[in-house]
Amino acid sequence: MAQSQNMIKYIIKRVLLMIPMLILALIISWVLSQLMFVDPVLNKMGMLDIEILEAERIRIGFYDPWYVKLGLYLKNFFTGNWGTSYLVSDGEPVSVLIGKIFPKTIELVIIPIIIIPILSVKLGVIAAKSKDKPKDSVIRGVAILGTALPIFWLATMLQYFVGHYLSIYTYGELNLEIMNPNSVTFRYPDPAWPFSTGFRIIDSILFNSQALLQDTLVHMILPMICMTFVSLAGITRQTRASMLDVLEEDYIRTARAKGSLEKEVINKHALRNALIPTSTLIVGGTAARLTGALFLEIAFNYTGMGFYMVAAIRLGDYVVINGILVFTVIIILSGTLIADVLYTIIDPRIIYK
Amino acid sequence: MTQIPIKESEKEEFSSKNKRKITRFIKFYLIPGWRDSEFSAIEYEIGKTKSKRKLFRRILKPLTIAGFLLILFIAICAVYAPWLTEYTVESITDSGLSGGVIFAPPSAEHPLGTTKYAYDILARLIWSCRTALVFGLTTIVIGAIGGVIVGTISAYFGGKTDSIIMRTVDLIMVFPALILLILFVEMMGEELQIMLYLFGMLSIPAYSRVMRASVLQVKQNLYIEAAKTGGAKNFKVMFTHIIPNAIAPIIISLFGGVGAAILGFASLAFLGFGDKSLPDWGSDINYARTRFSQYFAAFWPGLFILIAVMGFMLIGDGLRDALDPKNN
Repeated sequence: MAQSQNMIKYIIKRVLLMIPMLILALIISWVLSQLMFVDPVLNKMGMLDIEILEAERIRIGFYDPWYVKLGLYLKNFFTGNWGTSYLVSDGEPVSVLIGKIFPKTIELVIIPIIIIPILSVKLGVIAAKSKDKPKDSVIRGVAILGTALPIFWLATMLQYFVGHYLSIYTYGELNLEIMNPNSVTFRYPDPAWPFSTGFRIIDSILFNSQALLQDTLVHMILPMICMTFVSLAGITRQTRASMLDVLEEDYIRTARAKGSLEKEVINKHALRNALIPTSTLIVGGTAARLTGALFLEIAFNYTGMGFYMVAAIRLGDYVVINGILVFTVIIILSGTLIADVLYTIIDPRIIYK
Repeated sequence: MTQIPIKESEKEEFSSKNKRKITRFIKFYLIPGWRDSEFSAIEYEIGKTKSKRKLFRRILKPLTIAGFLLILFIAICAVYAPWLTEYTVESITDSGLSGGVIFAPPSAEHPLGTTKYAYDILARLIWSCRTALVFGLTTIVIGAIGGVIVGTISAYFGGKTDSIIMRTVDLIMVFPALILLILFVEMMGEELQIMLYLFGMLSIPAYSRVMRASVLQVKQNLYIEAAKTGGAKNFKVMFTHIIPNAIAPIIISLFGGVGAAILGFASLAFLGFGDKSLPDWGSDINYARTRFSQYFAAFWPGLFILIAVMGFMLIGDGLRDALDPKNN
């Protein structure tokens, strides 16, 4: 009882500490986006008459003094108005845009996040059981191969192999315009989303549409393979190391001496204790998955957060940059909080004051 | 009582150092407890090399050797680049078309074909080794030195200094590093030097956390207190007593860091934020990734990234295993 009360106090304290952090993050992201030299007006209107460009710049407040801009930005942010996108989504409010693109990224990331720990803990246990044998070397080699592989190259080669060489997979026309700075012809195909939630898989269940589900899964299977393969290494290595530590302990010898099956010794006595340091990596890897998703989205032309982020940076759409950056910061901050709370459940010896 | 005769005997031996060497040698090895300064020194040296050899043997695992060979390959490409290709850097990085055939298939003139701007792929691959190695090694030096200094100061002084530095580090690490890097690069220009400093600076927080944890352990030792009691200044204590004893985790993570830096640079170049005046692997993949009929133009640069990063990661992994006190 006292434990849970302490817990609630700790959570409240952490949430209150998040607020100054968030304000600082807001100001920093605003400063960063203001210091960029990209001219959004030129990108939007092209080479028109200079006077028209100037008029447009004055209209959107390009020449306002910095304190006016920052004040307006902070005031708008806390009153819920995150601004409207100027370039990438043409007049759409940023909160609506984030609500549309964020579920896509989460959908892409969530299945690897579930698969990766299961697979890599299994591999780590196998490697620890056969230490310094060929099996161990092979698993470690494959895990390091995953870390060293450039995820975008793997994505490109997979697309080539499955889409072009085997021709069993259709890939969309990749939009290379995103890589050309200051291009005028930058347009995105409208998602034309008729459904309420942004998650396609949930939508397909809600609306009982098998075709949509199949379509979604077929389009997500290659990115998921890439992401899973690339992020196996960390958890595998950690599991192997901590399993090797735990297998030396006295209670393992006791368990073996009393005649437990080897399977039980590994799964019940050793693995549960070995998973405590690994859990840090499992929870903390979520931010890394989001960054990895950025490359996948660009390589597979998947219009999620990373795709819009790079487009906004290239074209100078400050409002979208700020919105996505702040949203990512909020996710990471709350992610670390959730991780810290989860530790107490996994390892009851940890007590927060 | 017993010390005086030993001193005398040592003096005697010093005076007659070159005489009776064989007899002294026999005495030293056959009579137990016989002391001889010269031969003890030699024995001590042998013991040291023996333990060194043991460490060397622990490092030399098959995977580590493989990593070393991979890096050797990249290093040879980087050092002997002018001898390995007939193309100069200027002829393969001139922005705009160079007049050749775009995405040409392999031929005698271009052994691996050409890129989007009709540059020779093989030449770009070989010259890019220089870019990648310079980027990886330099950023890691900047990041590690900065991280060591910041982490040591933070952990040594503690209190307010510590909390201010660590909150700043937390604040920086809240942002996704890659997006921050893209923003900075877009802001300050896409030159190799600028990207190098930025990447180094942004890797300081991670290193300073590692260093801080290590220094907090070392700080507890008695010799630190002894040095302070002896009147050593703060910076003297930090740089001569703490850092040499606390730097091991940083050194272990250096190799993996070089690999990660090379990968990060390639990723930036893939997104189109690379230095256009230098050849690099990431931009080659970016240019060729939609041309599925000429997949080789994207295949080779990725293979080179893989070789370089994998080499450093394998060596880093081997070092960690060899130096980890738990494994010995």
